[in-house]
Amino acid sequence: MGTHKEVQHDKAPIERLQEQFATDSALRLPDEETIIFDNVSKFYGEVLGVNRVSLRLGPGITGLVGPNGSGKSTLMNLMTGLLHPTEGEIRVLGAPTHRPEQLFHKVGYLTQFDSFPASMTGYQFIYSYLRVHGHHHDDADAMTWAAIDRVRLRDAAFRKMAGYSKGMRQRIRLAQAIAHGPQVMVLDEPLNGLDPMARNEVIEIFKSLAEDGCHVVISSHILHEVDMISDQVLLLSGGYVVAEGGVTDVREEMHERPIQVLIRCDKATEVAAALFAEDIVVEVSLHDDRQGIMVRTANAGDFYRFMNRLVLEKDLEIETISVADSDVRAVYAYLIENEGEAL
Amino acid sequence: MSSSVASHSTPQTALDWGLIGRQITGILRMEVKRQLVSRRALSLYFLAFAPPLIMALWAMSPIPKKIGLTGPVDILDTFSFFYFGYLTTSIFLSALVMFMSLFRDEILEKSLHYYFLAPIRREVLVAGKFLSALVACAGTFMIGTAALYVFAMSPWGLGPLSRHLFSGPGLGHVFAYMGISVLACLGYGALFQLAGQLFKNPVVIAVAIGGWEFLNPFLPSFLKKLSVIFYLKSMFPIPVTEGPFTILAEPTPAWISIPGLLIFTALVLAAAGWRARAMEIHYGADD
Repeated sequence: MGTHKEVQHDKAPIERLQEQFATDSALRLPDEETIIFDNVSKFYGEVLGVNRVSLRLGPGITGLVGPNGSGKSTLMNLMTGLLHPTEGEIRVLGAPTHRPEQLFHKVGYLTQFDSFPASMTGYQFIYSYLRVHGHHHDDADAMTWAAIDRVRLRDAAFRKMAGYSKGMRQRIRLAQAIAHGPQVMVLDEPLNGLDPMARNEVIEIFKSLAEDGCHVVISSHILHEVDMISDQVLLLSGGYVVAEGGVTDVREEMHERPIQVLIRCDKATEVAAALFAEDIVVEVSLHDDRQGIMVRTANAGDFYRFMNRLVLEKDLEIETISVADSDVRAVYAYLIENEGEAL
Repeated sequence: MSSSVASHSTPQTALDWGLIGRQITGILRMEVKRQLVSRRALSLYFLAFAPPLIMALWAMSPIPKKIGLTGPVDILDTFSFFYFGYLTTSIFLSALVMFMSLFRDEILEKSLHYYFLAPIRREVLVAGKFLSALVACAGTFMIGTAALYVFAMSPWGLGPLSRHLFSGPGLGHVFAYMGISVLACLGYGALFQLAGQLFKNPVVIAVAIGGWEFLNPFLPSFLKKLSVIFYLKSMFPIPVTEGPFTILAEPTPAWISIPGLLIFTALVLAAAGWRARAMEIHYGADD
């Protein structure tokens, strides 16, 4: 996945976003291999859904992160033609989203709606819609079983879905979304309701889809899972894409924002004093066990250079030096939760 | 996706009538069952078969002979009037319930998006759903209409009945009334399907259409022609009389009425298809 990354500091210069938010690799790909949002806006009457989004997404796993109402589902529904943009155009691997007959040979969508047609078994659910796709019986049957096996629901295939647990319902919907072999998978909160084992299984499915060259777009509130599985993230807030790129890269780009670093060593108090003396940290707090300190610094480069020197000078025994907030949650907190302060 | 799945046949996206046929068959597989085996189907069966049942009870009673009816021919006018009532209440209401809920029910149960996420033209989806309701509604009312006619002609026993049916005009009448029932399902069905797609609360539009059709006998000639019932009535094998206050109008010949209703249905369905293309999925607040 591309590693280009940017943080938007001002929502007004949208043109800047258009240039910045295209990943390097996605830019190199032809339109037929990318998901393109071209200056897309969606308004529900007077209410903003998403505003002037321009993106190019290449293959791999893209995580959509943002609080409720940020526009994640709107973006996904726009990408799959369930909503029509008020302005702009979206093309998914070259197919316009207002042409379902082209689009859904390429796209599978696991929506957030935990609902089904009444009185169907898991098998009937997948098979019936494959027949609506136009597949013959033999193909539809084989594709149904392949999808059911992929989510490990063969034993429950002929049970009514009304009796399924939440996790089973989620998995059968995932099977329905992947049954026709789409090149683009759009997954709205796909890990909801899954127990830890099922989560891991489903995450493995996403990874294998991405390894097969599939575009996988995932939204989730479970940030560390998005962090773990995403090649890149899109951070949304209030209908705007506020950042896009690899999680670490996005974080590193926030030069002017302090990062948190955890240092565990044998002379924590001395290290804290030395760091303060050098004026390269914003904040230092000592751990209760006095064996570690949490440092906030606005200049990671200088900080690490200084630490190298300090280790040698004071003969420190360092157990760990790790960035404590380089995951999505931290980026999310900087960019979205403290929006007024951070942006 | 795994190669075992991806290697299966992928339907083509160009206008391919074979593919469209398979997609409509796929819709029919799901929808006809939904129409005929559901709680909603009980109202269809009640409206379709309660009148023939009443007619059967009437036929078995001594009433027909007591009031001096001597054979099937004596009851043709009365049957025509009774069928008019059947058409304007049972068939009208069934079409309203079935066709108007084609999209609405799936919006309420939040499952319409599964169709919208299939590689199928929205117009084909509209046609498939319409056909499924038509198969269920028209099929049921063809049986109901035939039963209604046969029971109406049966008080005098099997002999007069079979003579009326096979040696007289009976069989022709049965097919004519059945045909009118099918055309009613077509015309009203298309209208109600479109209304169900256009309006969040279709009751108002249903009452408006029903009122217009009900008032048809009292409308001036040129306004009569802007209704479904006018053309259906023109095709009755025995003309129906609607009472003393009606405004008479020249009935339209069948060769105009039938293609006219078919064209009307096609136009309304085209509008429904256009509307379906613009439909979005808003089940409720999301994000």
